[in-house]
This record gives sequence, C-alpha cells and structure tokens, in this order.
Amino acid sequence: MTRKTIPLLAALALFLILPQLIAVKYYLHLSILALIWVIMAQGQNLIQGYTGYVSIVQAGFMGIGAYSTALMGSHFGLPSSVTIILAPLVTACFALLAGYPSLRVKGHYFAIVTLAFNMVIFIILLNFTDLTNGEAGISGIAKPGYGRGALIDFNDRQVYYYFVLAVAVLMTALAAVIVRSRIGQILIAIRQNEDLVASVGVAAWKYKLFAFVVSAMFAGLAGALYAHYQSFINPEIFGVAQSLDAILAVIIGGSGTLTGPVIGAFFVVFLPEYLRFADSFRLILYGLILVLATIFMPRGIVGVARDLAGRIRGQ
Amino acid sequence: MTGKIFLKGSVAGLAALMMSGAAMAADEVLTIGVADALTGGAAVYGLPQANAVQMAADEINQAGGIKVGDDTYSLDVVVYDDKANPTEATNAVRKLIDRDGVKYILGFCCSGATGAVASFIEYEDAVMLVGNAAERSITTREIGNLVRTRPPADYTGAAAGAFVAQQGHKRVAVLGALEISFYASYVEAFEREFTKGGGEVIAHEVFASKDRDMSPQLTKIREMEPDALLVVGYVEPAAFAYRQSVELGMDIPRYGFTSGSEEQFLRVASSEQMEGVWDLRPTELTLQSTGETGLAYHKNYSERFGIAPSPSSPYAYDQAWALKHAIEAAGTADDTEAVAAALRDLEIPSEAVMQYLPVNGKMFDENGQAYTANGAFQWQDGHWVYVQELPSDPEAYSAFLSTLD
Repeated sequence: MTRKTIPLLAALALFLILPQLIAVKYYLHLSILALIWVIMAQGQNLIQGYTGYVSIVQAGFMGIGAYSTALMGSHFGLPSSVTIILAPLVTACFALLAGYPSLRVKGHYFAIVTLAFNMVIFIILLNFTDLTNGEAGISGIAKPGYGRGALIDFNDRQVYYYFVLAVAVLMTALAAVIVRSRIGQILIAIRQNEDLVASVGVAAWKYKLFAFVVSAMFAGLAGALYAHYQSFINPEIFGVAQSLDAILAVIIGGSGTLTGPVIGAFFVVFLPEYLRFADSFRLILYGLILVLATIFMPRGIVGVARDLAGRIRGQ
Repeated sequence: MTGKIFLKGSVAGLAALMMSGAAMAADEVLTIGVADALTGGAAVYGLPQANAVQMAADEINQAGGIKVGDDTYSLDVVVYDDKANPTEATNAVRKLIDRDGVKYILGFCCSGATGAVASFIEYEDAVMLVGNAAERSITTREIGNLVRTRPPADYTGAAAGAFVAQQGHKRVAVLGALEISFYASYVEAFEREFTKGGGEVIAHEVFASKDRDMSPQLTKIREMEPDALLVVGYVEPAAFAYRQSVELGMDIPRYGFTSGSEEQFLRVASSEQMEGVWDLRPTELTLQSTGETGLAYHKNYSERFGIAPSPSSPYAYDQAWALKHAIEAAGTADDTEAVAAALRDLEIPSEAVMQYLPVNGKMFDENGQAYTANGAFQWQDGHWVYVQELPSDPEAYSAFLSTLD
C-alpha cells in the first residue's frame, strides 16, 4: 500500500459510513447533490484542469443529459436504468457537434463560444415547449429500480446516496485512468504548450475534442442522476450560473488534480447552505469567499493542503 | 374556615388556576415553515407572501392560537429563501422537514420552484400550501397533501376570453411573454373561449421579460388591423407595450393580464397613455373590490411593514387561516393526513381576504385547488377601477382539472 492510497481508502471509508454519521436527513440530501456535482466537476476538470480550456457549457450538457433521460423514459417507455446509461451518449453526440467548430478557437474565445452554446441550450429547453414543457418543466421522473417496497428502493435517500456514490467513484476512477494514460499526458502537454504539441506531429484538436466530449458525457450523466433524484427538471437549473459553479468547483478544489473536484463539489453545494444564516447577504458573502479563495488559493484547497503537508514533512 | 382564610384560599386558588391556564395556553408551539422567494426577481411576490404568513400567525396567536382538544398551539414561523429556484426550493423544504421537523409548509410564489417541491412532497409527512404559483400542473397530479389558494392562469384566461368576446371584438392580436408557461396557458384558454364567442386571435407576438422595445411587434400588429390588443406579461414590459402602442398611433381597445399596481405602471407610461386599458385577472387584493376583511388586511399590513401589500400576498395569508381551521377540524396537529383531508373538507374561512368561489361548498376542490373571482379592471384617470366581475365557472373548471394528468 503506497502513501497515496491510504488517504484514498480513508476517504472512501468516510463516504461509505457517512449516512450513518449524519443525524439529519437533510445533510444526506445535500451529500447526494454534492456527489452528483463530483461527477460534473470531474468532467469539467478534464477539459479545464488538464487541457486548459475553460468550458462554460457544462450545465447545458447536464441539461441535455437530464432531459434526454426523462424524455426517453416518458416517450419510449425505456427503464430508468437504460436511460441513465444512454443519456451521456446522447450528450456526447451534442458535444461532438458543438466541440468540432468551437475548439478551433482558443482561450477566451473558446470560453465565449461555449457560453453561447449554454445559452442556446437554455433557450431551446425553455422554448421548445412541445418537447420540454418549457418553464413548467417535467415532473414525476421515475426513480431507477422497481419502485417503493422493492428489494433496492431508490426512493430511499440512503440507497440513492450509495448508488450515486458508486457512480461518482467509478467516474473518478475513469478520470484517473484517462489522465494517467498517454491521452492524459497529451492533454496536460496541450495545457502547457499547445503549439509545441502540434510541432511534434500530434493532432492536438483530436485530443481536445476527446476531452470536451468526455467532459460532456460526465455532465450528461450527472444531469441524468439529478433528474431521477429530484424527479423534476426545468430549464432554470441548467443555466450559465450553474456552469460557472462547475468552473468554481474545479478552481476552489484544485484544478488539474483528481481530489480537487471532489472537495470543490462539496464546497459549492454546502457553502451556500451554511451561509443561509446571513439571509439576503449570503450571496454577497458567498461571492466574497470565492473571490478571496481564488486570489489567495490559486491552486485550490488541494494546493494549500499539499503545501502544508510539504512544510510539515520539511520540518 | 374564617372569611379571611377563605379569601386567601380563593385568591391563591384563582392565581393557581390563572397560572395553569396561562401555562396551558402557551404549552404547545407548532412550527410552520415558509419557503418563498425572498431575494431575486421574484421577491416582489415572495417577500410579501412571507410577511403575510407571519402576520397571520401573529393574529392567530393573539386570538388564542390553534385549539386542538385540550391543547392550544401558538404558531412559530421559520422562513427560508428559495429564490424561486427549483434546487434552492428543494433544499429549503428538505431542510424544513428533515432538520426543523416542520410538517406544514406555506408560501410558494413561483411555479418552477413549486413544481420541484410538489414532485416529492406526496411522499413526505407534511402538508404543502401553495400561494401565488399559477402553473396548472401543480394541482393536476392529485397530490393529497397539497392545496393551492391561487387559481391556475388558464381559469382566468378563459374568463377573460369570454369577456372580450362579449365586448363584440372579432379580431384580437396577442403580444406577450409567451415563453412563460402560465402566460401561455392564459392565452391558450383566452383563445379557446374567445373563438367560441365568434372571435379570432390573429397574431401571437412574443416579448422576453427583459425586452423594453416592443415597437417591431406592435408595428407588425398595427398592419394587421386588429379590433383589439391583448398584452400578457410582467408589469414593466407590458407598460412599455401600452406606451408604445399609443406612440405608434394604435387607437384600439387594449386588454391585459399583469396584476400591476398604478405606481408600477406610472414608472414607465403616463396616465394618458394608460387611459382605457383593461386588466383581466383574479380580483386579488384591490381596494375597490375587496370587503371589510381585505381593507383590514391592507391597513394592518401597511402599518406593520411600512408598505402596501402586493395584490397577491393574501394568498399566503389565507393559507395560514385555512391551516388553523383544518388542524382544529382534524383535531390533531401531528397527523398530517388528517389535516390534509380536513383542508379538502374546509369551508371558506371568515378571515379569508381573497374572494373565493366555493366548489361544492368547499374552499378547495378534490384536486386541492381554490378558485377566486376574476375581475375586469380599467385604467381611468390615473387609477385602476374595478368595473365588473368576469364570467367564471369554478365548478366546470374543477371538473376539467380533474380530467388532466
């Protein structure tokens, strides 16, 4: 067992016993949302943290995943277990169409193009009412499994927690496999110097497109899990503000690390709730904390923790 | 026993009785929750609703609380901001139920947030009372522990369509925020009834909530030479539409669905530009059309919060009184199923501010939906004047609502 695997196993054990530690079910609800955001943030991290391209469309992709699983279930009568698997694939198709033209531009221009994509997705979800039911949204989205009283009852929040935890662990492992593979090394190289990568004969655009599509799949899966958990979706949840939250989750947690998005996701979900005591000032406080964290912790919480650990070891 | 000792004993006994009585009156507290938009764009509806619930709770407490058998409950109100956002609303209600142990949740000004909570509330040991949220589907799901005080938008739209047809118009152009579902459903019902009356809607022009220049749509409508114009949307863009219709020389009757106050319209359009405009909406709280209860509500709210109540705020005030009577009728504050059933069986409380139209003698129909009167208001010399009640049929609408999934 290496020095790195011990904290990982400890974290996993903590997540496994968390429902038993939580006395108030409300925090279990927030933990489920945070785990869904872990999946979203791991996807965001692939394109933003490892490839160096800030995408502002992840919430839009999350919306595509959420709506596709709900619509496939209601229109084609497919079981939730199937639609949850298909939803990321549908999202990937849209990401392929969106990514091919948008990845021809770099830096801020890429961010602006993806922002526009998110707005287009939002407008379509809002106005294509025959399909999406517009602002009123879709309600009564079925949970996976066979309903209440079944052997595994996904209506039970604890069961859904373990289900989402399993998916989040799986997707984090997948992200780890990707970033440690040759593809991941090229993605990091693109982030460091894209021109240099191209000069050695690597078709950088293919790898960028790969990262973009895979990150969209992560978001689509997160959207599908969200839809089945909440049983309700409407366009408001998939606007630009949520895309910015995904970016913040990566920055706050630690960009370009696997642990960062996990920490960032919990931060983004829990902090606004803890600031509710501040009533109408809480969003100002939230914004202030984020600004200060970004200025003074540019490498995120993981970066600070590593610095601290390094100093302790040095002493 | 001497007279002195008897007197002492009597005084002591009376004091003990008074103390025990006081203890009994204050021995139970029932915490009720409010989830509503306290910040953000929808706070104009949500904040007055939260205030209204607090005011009603205080009045109930001052009137002796809620009496259940030998117990008397005083109400304590916990308020959370849902920002009219579905995820925030879900979080707020989860917290009320799971952490605060609340069983009765009031408020809910806006449809998106309300729909999100309604999607899971039937599985909770709680009762949800919805206020201003107008989306029809909230009460089509047969959720036993949910009731709503505001009628759906299409119920009012149908009454408006019949009214405009009665005015003799044949060709009406619609301009509105039709991407918002409850405005769209208002127009849909309007068109259905207007067509039955021999009319035709010749245009469906759209503006977004943030648009302020409607002259392109109005120019197009002007070329079609309609008999009348129907404007549906939030107050400010609607006010721009009224103003610009005058600036473009459109001399036709103008109808609308906004529930805007005079002050809100006068920030955008002059009184001359507004002259003659009709607003076809639920009667809600309008000083010209309300009774003594409404006038008292207006006075008390204004004194307490330093601002006039919004027209839709009594939807939430009435929720609190309906809940009090339902708990007393059910004879329990703990059994939410019994209280939810009692709500369905409730007659209109005498304290209700809105002018509800009963269905089978009850405040809420079998879907948990209440119905108010609809009114035609006209702008005359700088004021909204209540002209007449619109032809509304809550019994028929209730039957129709029961057929929907």
